[in-house]
Amino acid sequence: MKSLTIAALLAVTMTPVAKADTADGAALIAMTWDQIVDEARGGTVNWFMWGGSDSINQYVSGYIGGILMADYGITLNRVGITDTAEAVNIVLGEKQAGVSNKGAVDMIWINGENFRTLRQGDMVWCGYTDALPNNALINWNNPAIANDFGVPVAGCEVPWSKAQFAFAHDSATLPNPPKSIPDLIAWIKANPGQFTYPAAPDFNGGVFVRHVFYYAAGGAENLLGRFDQTKYDAAASKTWAILNDLEPYLWRKGDTYPTSITALDQLFANKEVSITFNYDASQFGLAVQNGSFPETVRSYGLTDGTISNTNYTAIPFNSPNKAAAMVLQNLLLSGPAQVEKAMPAAWGAAPAIEIARTKPEDQAKFASITQLPSVVSMEDLGKSALPELQADWISAIEQGWIENVGQ
Amino acid sequence: MQDRLKITLLLTPALTVIGVLFFGGLGLSLLRSFNYMPIIGMNDPNLDAYRSVLASPQVYRSLALTLYIAATSTLIASVLAVATALLLRRSFRGRAIASFLVHLNLTIPHLVGAIGILYLFSQSGSFARMAYGLGLITKPADFPAIVFDPYAIGIIATYVWKELPFITVITLANMQTLGNDHESVARTLGASRWQAFRHVLLPQIMPGLLSASAIVFAFTFGAYEIPALLGASAPQTLPLMAYRGFTDVNLASHPQAMALAMLIAAVSAIMIALYTRALRNKRRG
Repeated sequence: MKSLTIAALLAVTMTPVAKADTADGAALIAMTWDQIVDEARGGTVNWFMWGGSDSINQYVSGYIGGILMADYGITLNRVGITDTAEAVNIVLGEKQAGVSNKGAVDMIWINGENFRTLRQGDMVWCGYTDALPNNALINWNNPAIANDFGVPVAGCEVPWSKAQFAFAHDSATLPNPPKSIPDLIAWIKANPGQFTYPAAPDFNGGVFVRHVFYYAAGGAENLLGRFDQTKYDAAASKTWAILNDLEPYLWRKGDTYPTSITALDQLFANKEVSITFNYDASQFGLAVQNGSFPETVRSYGLTDGTISNTNYTAIPFNSPNKAAAMVLQNLLLSGPAQVEKAMPAAWGAAPAIEIARTKPEDQAKFASITQLPSVVSMEDLGKSALPELQADWISAIEQGWIENVGQ
Repeated sequence: MQDRLKITLLLTPALTVIGVLFFGGLGLSLLRSFNYMPIIGMNDPNLDAYRSVLASPQVYRSLALTLYIAATSTLIASVLAVATALLLRRSFRGRAIASFLVHLNLTIPHLVGAIGILYLFSQSGSFARMAYGLGLITKPADFPAIVFDPYAIGIIATYVWKELPFITVITLANMQTLGNDHESVARTLGASRWQAFRHVLLPQIMPGLLSASAIVFAFTFGAYEIPALLGASAPQTLPLMAYRGFTDVNLASHPQAMALAMLIAAVSAIMIALYTRALRNKRRG
């Protein structure tokens, strides 16, 4: 995986640089949008993003990259990474080396802890979002948009999609899956070896553990706000007790856990386990379409709610192609691009913009979308959504799991 | 003078690469391992990262696992490689094919090998499916755990499969240079086959074998990809642990990752030192 990052870096350094260097963010913010577009024309934007889904890659490189080239002459260089932290590490390395205006990364698909890291190191460009014309489509009054895992966005990133955690089962072999955490626990004990979850620090595995943590804490509302050691200790000891108690009933009796969501999906596809889950329910539809999951797979939320979040795109402080990255961000926010992204055949990701603010023809398209049978609708999921916690909570829970359960 | 200049010029490219990339990287890692990271306000170098790494029971479990994997793979691969080389040294029908098959592995990347092992030996892999078809097992969990297992069988198997040809090639070349005159003399003087091998051939090929196996040990000790694909979730090998720390979202855990990387480098250096000493003693003896 490290060599992948190095290969990605090489690819980036070998692509031609933009004609106009737009590393100076302050100068850009002072310009009109038309001037910014002029600056961006003919340039390149190096977008580092999780590259594990062929459909997402196709949407970005094919659909978005095509429009970007046709309308603005901008080359979109999508750099696939396995973990967003890799892109953050590149920016961090550059910051340490004093590279302040010709960084390799122009844009990152990001949220949560990685965004906090960027802000912690003062490595993200802020204050430009009002300059994007499509900023008007974003409802910044929605706290779930204005806060990224409890960290104020403060003009440092632009929302792209919303996501909500969902579980999946094969309706042919498991017609009635457990639909709450206590039911799931009972089901696991009754069906030994049929369930497991990816070990922290896997992102999806961490989210599953947080669902149990919320349950142990008696609800998410007790955990909102800043990290609180007393509250954490109380809920954590209960959570580890529940999870350790479950271990003998897990896949491989809990001796080992899958180390990635991909590994869990493979176990599910090979029928070694009966339930999988994902922060992006559209992934189940894609897996059915490409034949790795059977047609009978269905997905669902929990009666006590599942965790939801918004994901964003951010521009590092030292990007030399800020104008091109802004044009790209503006394009991603546009009604047509968000409709295309929401199409189950393309990706099926929920829009981060307010549909009511888009043009009537886009609204009509949004209304006409029908989800694949394997993908639970955002409306159904959204009926009971749980908030994400602040990054300090999440780190503490991950570390606690590794020390108390994973060893 | 002329010669010296020529030598200097010829060596410069290689030394620059080693100097800048290797020692530069090592130096930066060392600084970070001493908690020196001005970007997040860590301006006072100290040994905290080493203290916390050396105080962590996880690290010792991980060190034990990593040493176990490296030592077992190296030992098995070396023994099998000597046996293979002894066979390939003789002439027999199909020797060319056997030799080709042994060399073929050298060209296959480690990652591809690991994925092959995964497809063949996982509990829902090809062999498990065959066993199911033959009625030997009724569900995936009945198949023995060979990958993601606590004994790292899958990892060791991949390393043995991949490193065996490497050691074989070196040992075989060694044997062919030596010829079998010494052994023939020993046999005419009444030594058994085993005695001729143990007391005549083995001491002669030992230096080559030792250096090949030292390379294999150092590689398997520091390698990331095979344990990442085939290893259990805990304990993890040291390189995995270091990388996990390095990609941790909390920048404060980077110094510990760097301290772990230094630990890996130190163990490898100690191994090489022990090996050169063993080699020197051999030469003297």
